[in-house]
Amino acid sequence: MYAYIIRRLWQMIPTILGVIVLVFILFNWVGGDPAYVLAGKISSAEQIANIRKQLGVDQPYYVQLWIFIKQVLTVDFGASWSTNETVSHILATRLGPSLTLLIPWLILSTLISIGLALAVAYVRGSLTDRAVMISCTVGLSISILVYIIVFQYVFAYKLGWFPVQGWGDSFRENLLLYSSLPILILLVVSIAPDLRLFRTFVLDEINQDYVRTGRAKGLSENRIMWLHVLRNASIPIITHVMAQLPGLLIGAFLVERFFSIPGIGREVILAVERSDFPVIKAITVYVAVATMVFNLLADLMYKAVDPRVQLK
Amino acid sequence: MDASSFRRHLSFALPAALLALVAVSQPLSAADPGKVIRHAFPAAETGFDPAGAQDLYSAQIEQVIFETLLSYDYLARPAKLVPLTAEALPQVTDDGKTYTLKIRKGIYFTPDPAFNGKKRELVAEDFVYTLKRLIDPKLRSPWAWLVEDKIVGLDELAEAAKKGAKFAYDKKIPGLEAVDRYTLRIRLKQTDFNLPFVLAHEPTSAVAREVIEKYADESGRAMSNPVGTGPFVLKDWVRASKIILEANPGYRGFVWDFKPGSDPEDKRLIAEMKGKKMPQVGRVEISIIEEDQARLLAFEKGEIDIMNMEAPLAPNVLDGDKLKPAFAKRGVKLSRFVDPEITYHYWNMQDPVVGGLTKEKIALRRAMAMAFSVEEEIRIVRNGQAVEAQYPIPPGVVGHDASYRTSVKYDPVAANALLDRFGYKKGADGFRTLPDGKPLVVKYTSRPDTLGRQQDELWAKAFALLGIRMEVQKLRFPDQIKAEKECKIMMRTASWIADYPDADNFMQLLHSKNIHQNNNACATIPEYDKLYEQTIRLPASSPERDKLYHEMAKIIETYAPWRLDISRYRNQIVQPQVLGYKKHPILHSEWQYIDVRTGSGGSGGDAGTGEGH
Repeated sequence: MYAYIIRRLWQMIPTILGVIVLVFILFNWVGGDPAYVLAGKISSAEQIANIRKQLGVDQPYYVQLWIFIKQVLTVDFGASWSTNETVSHILATRLGPSLTLLIPWLILSTLISIGLALAVAYVRGSLTDRAVMISCTVGLSISILVYIIVFQYVFAYKLGWFPVQGWGDSFRENLLLYSSLPILILLVVSIAPDLRLFRTFVLDEINQDYVRTGRAKGLSENRIMWLHVLRNASIPIITHVMAQLPGLLIGAFLVERFFSIPGIGREVILAVERSDFPVIKAITVYVAVATMVFNLLADLMYKAVDPRVQLK
Repeated sequence: MDASSFRRHLSFALPAALLALVAVSQPLSAADPGKVIRHAFPAAETGFDPAGAQDLYSAQIEQVIFETLLSYDYLARPAKLVPLTAEALPQVTDDGKTYTLKIRKGIYFTPDPAFNGKKRELVAEDFVYTLKRLIDPKLRSPWAWLVEDKIVGLDELAEAAKKGAKFAYDKKIPGLEAVDRYTLRIRLKQTDFNLPFVLAHEPTSAVAREVIEKYADESGRAMSNPVGTGPFVLKDWVRASKIILEANPGYRGFVWDFKPGSDPEDKRLIAEMKGKKMPQVGRVEISIIEEDQARLLAFEKGEIDIMNMEAPLAPNVLDGDKLKPAFAKRGVKLSRFVDPEITYHYWNMQDPVVGGLTKEKIALRRAMAMAFSVEEEIRIVRNGQAVEAQYPIPPGVVGHDASYRTSVKYDPVAANALLDRFGYKKGADGFRTLPDGKPLVVKYTSRPDTLGRQQDELWAKAFALLGIRMEVQKLRFPDQIKAEKECKIMMRTASWIADYPDADNFMQLLHSKNIHQNNNACATIPEYDKLYEQTIRLPASSPERDKLYHEMAKIIETYAPWRLDISRYRNQIVQPQVLGYKKHPILHSEWQYIDVRTGSGGSGGDAGTGEGH
C-alpha cells in the first residue's frame, strides 16, 4: 500500500506542473495588467512601468513562470497585489469561516442523503418514492440564487429567525447563529441531487444476490440495508463526496457573498475582481493539490470499506 | 519655609494635585461607548495607509483615524475649506507659489509601541515626511500625482531614488520646509491655487515616521497599523468583512457649531446637534455587504444604521426623490444630493475614423452626440437617480454654473441632416459610409457587466437612428484602462468624481498634457489648451476664471470630444435614531459629526447632552 501511495504522490507532480502552466497562461491571456489599476486615477507611463517592475510582470514570461514554480515549491506566494497582505495570511484567515460553514453542511448533507436514499430505495416504486423523486427534480431545477434570495427574505427578514447577514468573533456564535441559514440553504440545494444519486447506488445493490441470501438467512431488513447494502453502495458515495470536497471551498462563494461570510469563495471573487494574481494562483494550486489528495484518500477509503479492492 | 507654612502650602497643593490627577485621568473624549453606529460598505477595503490605499472605503476609515492640515465645513455647500490640524487656512504669498501653515499645538498621535511609551506630538516635520512619502518610488503610491511636478526639489528626490538610491527622507529640500516645530512652508514650482484642496485630501494625512518604519511591508506601506491623530482608532479588523472603530480617548474633540446653509434640513441638524462636544459616537461597526438584497434587508431589519442607496436599489426605497411612505413613516431619513461627478461619452480624438479636428470628423461626433438620449439613460438605466450634466463642472464644485445649458440636445433628425451634409452617405444596406466611401464602423467599448450591457443597448439605438454600423468591444476594467491610456479605444463612457471640489479637477481632463494619463479622449485642441493654461494661474471663484471655463465648455460642445451625459444622485438612508447626519459631497466620513439616540428616552437627541461629558 505504501508503494501505491508513493506512486500516486509521484504522479501528482506532472499534474501540478500542468495546473501551473494552465493557470499562468490563462491569467496572462485574460487576467489583465494589474499595474494600470494599481497606478490610480491619474498616472503616468513611468509610474505604470515602475509598478510593473515591482510586481515582476515586466519580466519575460519564462522568468515569471519560473518564479511561479518556485512559489509553489516553497509554498510562499508572496503578498496580495491590492492589499499587500501575505497570501498565506489571507488563506489562513479565510479558511476558518469556510470550514465552519462547509464541514457541518457536508456531514449533515451526506448523512441525510444516505438515510433518505436508503429509505426511498427500500420503498422503491411506492407513492412516497415517486413523491420524493418529483420533489428532488423540482428542487434540482431551481438555482441556488433563488434559494438564497427567498430564504434570506423569508426566514431572516420576514420571520426574523436568523440574522440577515454577518459574522461574529466566536466559533460558537458563527456556527449556531450566522451559519445556520447558509447551511440550511446549502442542504436544500445539495440533498436533492445527492439523494437521487445515492438512491441509484442503493438500488443497484438491493437487487444483488447477497441481499436475497441475507433475507433467506433471516437477517433483519435494518441489518441488510444499513450494513450490507450501504457498505457495498458506499464506494460510489465516497467517490462522489470526496470529489466534491475541494470544489466546495470555492463553490460556496454565492452563499458567502450574500451572507457576508469572510471565506475562501468570497476571497476568490474579490481577487478576480482586483486581478490579484498571487491570491488567484495560490488558491488554484491549493485546490488542485486538494483534489489530488482527496482522490488518493478516496482510493484508500475504498480499500478500508471493501477489502476486495486491490490498490495497484 | 517653617513647618506651619509648609502645611499651609501642602493643604492647597494636595487638593490641587489631586484635582490635576483626576483631570488627567479623565478621558478627553465625549464619546459614549454605548452609542454605536453600524454602517455597511458595498465593497471591500484594501488597507489603511493614506499613501497606499486608493479605494473609497479605505479612505472612509483613514479619514477618521488620520488628519489632514485642512478639511471641509460639515454643512457649507459648495464645500468650504476649514483648518483641521492647521491653526488657520494657509498664508499664500509669492503669487500662489508659497504656502505657510501653522500647526495647532497639543495634537497627539494615539499611543503606539512605535513611540516607546512617550507621548508623540504632531509637528511640521510629520507633514514634510508625509508629503515626501507620496512620491517615494518604492511605495508606488497612486497619489503621487498630488505632489508630482509641483513642489520645489521633490521630484529630484524621487529621480535619485529611481536610480537605485534609497529615498532621502532626511535630505532638506527648499519646497518642503519645517521652519520651526509647528510651521510648515511649501514652495511650489509654479502658481497653483489648488494646493489647499490637496492639503485637505486624505492621502496627505499626517503619519508618524516611527510608525511607518516599524510596520511597513516590503513596499514601504503600513496598511494594517493605522496610527493617527483623528477622532477614531482601529479596534478590530477582519479584512473584507468587518471593521470596528472606537472613539480615540485622547482626541482633543470639538464643539458642534456649524452654520446652516440654504438646505432647510440644516435647521433640523442644528437642533439635534448644536453645542455637543464631538465625537459623540463611541463605536463604529462597519460590515462589508456586497450584495444589494442583503444590504437592504439588513437595513430594513435594523442591523445597519447608514447605507448608500445605489441606483439599482432606489426603486425599493424611493418614489422619485422622496422616501416611500413605509420608510418615511418609520422615521428613516434620506440625505440626497447630486454627486460632484460627471459621466461622459468620449471619442478618441486620435482615432482615424472618429478623431481629428476636420469639419467632417467634428460633424460625425456631433451627430453621434445628438442621437444619444440622456433622458432615456436617466429613466431606464439610472432609475431616475441622475440629472443631465449641462456643464463639465458638476454641482457642488467651485466653478459650477447652475444656469448654464448645453447646446447639445437630443435631435436625431438634425443629427442625420448633419451627416448627410458632410458626405456620410447611406448605402443600400441602410448603413452610412465615410465621405471617401469606405465603411463607417464605430467600435464602442464597455465593461462586461449589467451597466455595460445597458449602455451598449442605448448606443445601439442611437447608432440605428443614424444608420451607423456599431461594434461592441467588451474589456475588463484593467484592460480598458490600459487601452485607454494607450489611446486605443475608439469610444467609451467614462466617469470622473471630484478628488477635490474645484473646477480644475474636471477641466484638466481635456488638457493635451494629460494624454496617456487621464485625458482619455486623447484630445489636443489648441484653443482649449490655451485657455486651460490661463485658468490655472487664476484663483478659484474668480470671475475671470469662470469666464474662461464658459469658453472651454463651448469648445467641448463645438469639437465634441465628449458628449456630456449625467451626474448621479447620492442617496444615503439613515435610521431614525441617527442624529445630525448629512452626507458631505467631498468628505468620505461623517461619523465624527453625528450622534445616536440611545434608549427610549433618546439621550442623544437632546441638544447639549454632550456638554456633560
